[in-house]
Amino acid sequence: MIKNINGDQFGEVKDADVAVVDFYADWCGPCKMLSPVVEGISEEYEGRVSFFSIDVDENQDLAMEFGVSNIPNLILFKKGEKADQSVGFKPAEALKGWIDGNL
Amino acid sequence: MERYDIAIIGTGPAGVSAAITATIRNKKIILIGKKDLTQKLQKAHEIRNYPGFPAVSGADLAKALKDHLDQMGIGITEDQVTQVYAMGDYFGLQTAKHQMDMLEAEAVILASGVVQGKLLPGEEELLGNGLSYCATCDAPLYKNKTVAVIGYSKKEEEEAEFLGEVAARVIYIPVYQEETGAMKNVEVVRAVPKAVRKADKERQIETDGETITADGIFILRDAVSPGQLVPGLETDGSHIRVNRQLETNLPGLFACGDIAGLPYQYIKSAGEGNVAALSAVNFLAAKKAAKQ
Repeated sequence: MIKNINGDQFGEVKDADVAVVDFYADWCGPCKMLSPVVEGISEEYEGRVSFFSIDVDENQDLAMEFGVSNIPNLILFKKGEKADQSVGFKPAEALKGWIDGNL
Repeated sequence: MERYDIAIIGTGPAGVSAAITATIRNKKIILIGKKDLTQKLQKAHEIRNYPGFPAVSGADLAKALKDHLDQMGIGITEDQVTQVYAMGDYFGLQTAKHQMDMLEAEAVILASGVVQGKLLPGEEELLGNGLSYCATCDAPLYKNKTVAVIGYSKKEEEEAEFLGEVAARVIYIPVYQEETGAMKNVEVVRAVPKAVRKADKERQIETDGETITADGIFILRDAVSPGQLVPGLETDGSHIRVNRQLETNLPGLFACGDIAGLPYQYIKSAGEGNVAALSAVNFLAAKKAAKQ
């Protein structure tokens, strides 16, 4: 499951052991395609990784803070610290490889 | 959105051949490319090793290929595929005409030829970090900012103008001879780009003249490399990694012709188009059997 959050809920990302945040926008084609792929793999990581999504249009300050200059942009946080970043679409296998490499 | 059995990208001998075989095997296909097939073939002087055509000009071979498609009732969809997404159980195709309402296909055959031209030094390092190939994708991130755009053909002026509607300032560097048309809120700088790099919070384009500084860089060219066209695709230099069945590392995605490797020969491309189509047909049959 992916939880759509806004800036005022960002504490949930900080509190999670490992969190993956999908920075997206409604007008972005690749974002539209990536979102179901992230949703699909999120179940496999239940209890280990928390998944969030953030609309960059409504949260430009967060996008700036984490250096999101291209979307879709997945940022992996470990104990609230930015640990890795994945830019653009990735198929499920590649996405899992990216997350596993960070666990 | 209706889903095609096979989407074939490219209208050179490989794509045409794949379309013919897939149609003979009763698959619902979409063939995406150009009505005049390919400029490369059109301009080929004389081909002497295509069996059945002892000494044929590229233009005549192109005409024969087009006639073959016409006789079989295979149409060509004129469009440009900008990205292919492996969604797991299908593929999404983003094109110039389908930015958000993407085309869908069960299998894809890539036959789009080899990329001409080299990347700029620094381009790969900067991609996704302030450098983008897609104006319509990333433009809104540069609201009230300065962007520099390198356009490799006249049609990219439309994209620059679109950026002009969003960004505070657009610097456009045309890398072609023709005069640029009138573009609103776009400054044109005639220079030859030499390299791109990151400098603190800004991005820079080094040219034969002045160095251009901006918040973001867009590089717009006709052809993108296969790894950028299909995220997650394994490549081998400028070619896609394939096996004898012309399967790639992504199940359901096949490659044929020049994009699948040397030698660059028309007859080899046509032969591979046939193999790729038959492999795609087998893939669809296996997928159907697994579902039942």
